[in-house]
Formats: sequence, structure tokens, C-alpha cells
Amino acid sequence: MSDDFEEKKILVIQTHGIETPRRTYSPIFYAMASAAMEIETMIWFTMDGTNQLKKGEAEKIKLDPTSNVTLRTMLDQALESEVSLRVCHQSMALFNMTQDDLIDGVQILGATSIIDLSLEADHVMYF
Amino acid sequence: MSENPDVRGCVIPLSLHYNVTDHTWIMVGDDGLVTLGMTDIAQNLAGPLLHCKPKKPGSVRAKGRPIATVESSKWVGPVKTPISGEIVEINDVLTQDAATINRSPYKAGWIVKLRPSDLEEEMKLMVTGQEAVEAYRTKIEADDIQACDHVEGFEA
Repeated sequence: MSDDFEEKKILVIQTHGIETPRRTYSPIFYAMASAAMEIETMIWFTMDGTNQLKKGEAEKIKLDPTSNVTLRTMLDQALESEVSLRVCHQSMALFNMTQDDLIDGVQILGATSIIDLSLEADHVMYF
Repeated sequence: MSENPDVRGCVIPLSLHYNVTDHTWIMVGDDGLVTLGMTDIAQNLAGPLLHCKPKKPGSVRAKGRPIATVESSKWVGPVKTPISGEIVEINDVLTQDAATINRSPYKAGWIVKLRPSDLEEEMKLMVTGQEAVEAYRTKIEADDIQACDHVEGFEA
């Protein structure tokens, strides 16, 4: 199998948020792995996945109490790895969130955009 | 002066050339091939490594492109080459035991060997010797990188 993935695209859809911490880290980790392999990678946060992007929330989630790595650390590392973070505009209403509530670096898109992005991606991972 | 000085316990051999931003080192062999690996600082930041997946021999990599991906329990990311060229050899030991990089980042934990295509020019962008030590001292202090902790032993 070739290990040259240039111009490939992966879309990760995250529907889980801060009320289920154990379901938050892995999709971000996979996205970072994908980016490290030179694959254009995006995480789309929708439904309950939206609330982790609210300022101050991800900092509260830490899977390993002995580590200093929080969910916010993971999100920041994903951004540094050039993973695109995008959020569903309609889902933000579920949590009374506005653009001002979002952490920096997250782009808001509407429902039709997720269809476009799904069609453009070479693979979609759904969590 | 030690041949292997350290900053906050992070070892920086004087004989190697470094890209401080990407935490990589190179050594140019008598055969003209370039051996490339992660620095002591890099392996400490990543934590105990679980997997290392180098690109295949024959892959041609431009400067700044990944030559491998490495992952620990808390981080996954690319190892970017500071030198353009063709990968001619990968360190098979790392397939079975990626933590070799933690124990011996500058010797047994080398990652790939490259046949460079623009070595002379690209090496001008790297630092070596005491200049490298001072560059790392500045970066470690600016980024407030914690002391290197060689819990699994260390071979410099």
C-alpha cells in the first residue's frame, strides 16, 4: 500500500461532547494522526459534540487525572497540526451558543456545507 | 566541555546538526548519507512512544515534509525532515520497539537515512555545536519546556 496520501481528505464527524468525556479524545487523536500523514483533515462538531467548543468547557475534561492533558489541550494540538475545526451552526442553538462563545480557530458552517464536505472527502469517520 | 551538554537535563550532542523548531537532528556519514532522528527534547515532549511509522524506502521527501509519524499515548504527529532527499533506509528496530527513540534518540533510535539532494544549502539553515545548545536553551526557556526525564534509561 502506498504511503503517499497527498491530496486525500478525511472528514471526522464528532457527535459526543463533555457529558461523555471518554468519547471525546479519540476522534481528535485520529484526526491528528491523519494530519500527520499529510491528509487534509477536518473535524465537524455537531449535535452534542458542539458543547466542547464553548470557551472554558474543554479545560474541565481530563481523562487521566495524573496527566496535565485536557480536552482543551487536544483541541489546541489538533489546530497546531493543521486540523480544521468546524461546528454546525444549527447545533450551537442547542447550547445557546453564539460565535463569541467559541474557542478561537473554529469555523461555523451550515447544514448544507456538511453535505458538500462529505461528498468532497475521500473518507468519513463518524463518532 | 562535555561532548554531550544538556539544558534542563535535555541532552544536545555537539557533533550533530539540528532543526530546533522541528526538534530533529541529522548526522552526515562518510558515504554521504544523512541519518535523521528526533532530539531528546522531542522524545520527552511526546512521552513514551508506542509506534513509529517511517515512510517507505524510495520515498522522495522535500524539506519540511514528514519522513515518519510517531505516536505516544498522549500525542501523535509527524517527524519533518530538515533535508530534502530520498529515503534509502529505515530503522526496522522501531517497528517493534518505538520506545528505542526514548532510550537512545541519537544512536539506536535513529529513524531514517536519506540520500540528500541539496545538503549544502539546507545545512546552512541548521545549527550545530555550542550554537545549537544556546538555540535550544532559548527555546526551552521561551516555551517553558519541562526538564527531560530519562525514566527508561538513556544512551547519549
